[in-house]
Amino acid sequence: MSKTVPLFLSVSPGDPRSIVRQITDGIRLSIASGQLPVGAQLPSVRGLALQLTVNPKTVAKAYGELANDGWLDARQGLGLFVAAPRQRLSSSELERRLSLALEAFSAEVIGLDYPLEHILDRIRADLAPLLDKRSA
Amino acid sequence: MTAPNYLRLERRDSPAPPAPPAVSDFVIETDGLDLCYGRKKALDRLSLRIPRGRIHAIVGANGAGKSSLFRILLGVQSPNTGRATILGHDCTALTERERARIGFVNEEHSLPSWLRVDELVAMQRRLYPNWDERRFRRIVDHFHVLPEQRIAGLSRGERAGVNLAMALAQQPELLILDEPTLGLDVVAKRAFLEVVLDSVDDGGTTIIYCSHQMDEIERLADNLIILERGRLVHMSPPDEFCERVSAWVAEFAFTRPEPGLLPGVLQVQQIDGLTHYLVLDQDERFSALLQARGARRHHRGEVNLDRAVNAFLSRNHATPAPDAPLP
Repeated sequence: MSKTVPLFLSVSPGDPRSIVRQITDGIRLSIASGQLPVGAQLPSVRGLALQLTVNPKTVAKAYGELANDGWLDARQGLGLFVAAPRQRLSSSELERRLSLALEAFSAEVIGLDYPLEHILDRIRADLAPLLDKRSA
Repeated sequence: MTAPNYLRLERRDSPAPPAPPAVSDFVIETDGLDLCYGRKKALDRLSLRIPRGRIHAIVGANGAGKSSLFRILLGVQSPNTGRATILGHDCTALTERERARIGFVNEEHSLPSWLRVDELVAMQRRLYPNWDERRFRRIVDHFHVLPEQRIAGLSRGERAGVNLAMALAQQPELLILDEPTLGLDVVAKRAFLEVVLDSVDDGGTTIIYCSHQMDEIERLADNLIILERGRLVHMSPPDEFCERVSAWVAEFAFTRPEPGLLPGVLQVQQIDGLTHYLVLDQDERFSALLQARGARRHHRGEVNLDRAVNAFLSRNHATPAPDAPLP
């Protein structure tokens, strides 16, 4: 009867991101790729902490951030669920995040000396399947 | 992935842990501790208060004073000046009864090799009034150790498991773990961390965890304590410490500024024509400073605990990188 979808996440010691960031990124990617459908229930804080061998507070913080950003919905006494897309972020916040992401991306890519067309092709190839799944 | 068996049993079967006596809100309190070895200062007016409950990680370079602190806390060494209490008792006058409330595991994991695990336990059990045999069994089982095994035949990881099980079976109010996972393989290390995480929820034990492994500390700790040259230099939840440190990547039009011209710089690296900074306690104003110094573009990033602590601890011997001309 459990609607909890297992999360295939891992926390890696070599990862430059914090554990909270690894968890939030992993869950966002699972939602964006459709692996976690709208309405799916997330594992409990304790459960995911056990699975990843991390302090439960870390999981609670990651869940809190995702709920704040509108990716997850907390239903009193029931747990956390994947939220419907429209609730997620205001348009100005979306625009701000896109700018931040682009800035980070540009700073990394600028030193690689690829022609613009090649970079755009790669972005298209990587993002198109993810965006398709979401609109499906 | 399923939860380890004993972790599940634990919560259903064991009786509620006895409420810790309200002696003090702090398991450890030190005030102005000084300790010198000859002319070398091991502890320098160290004042530290560690609250009861949860997992507290103590971090520092070798020689920062961790071992000296533990020796004083366990009553093996007296400070030159200052005072220290553990569970509310003066560390220089601990009785056997008080010692029985404190567990200690270090990286040696040495056990009498001529005994079997159950024979060792039979001896230990008599020394500790609160011995919890079922807890002991569950933990050694988690390390796949059987009671009838000879200690001489156990691997390092299995001996670590037996040591941890013995320490936790005493139901200590305070458990000090000093580099406990040093030299363990990944499987034993994981098992060790699982038991540590679980034991805090389970028995009201406060854990002090000392390690150089930042990935372990990032996984485990509720509280991060950084010692440096015998002093307390930082104490907060680990993620708050990570937030103090930020990474910046900048591309300068001509030459990059002297490190001294930018505040809070812990580390500078020149990679592929970009300058990478790790900085302490800087907000978005750092961005304006980079621009003012001629940065054509720049970007801010987050760092994990490993990078943050490493940069922080190396900040004092950070030699300014040679100012190579940009390509």
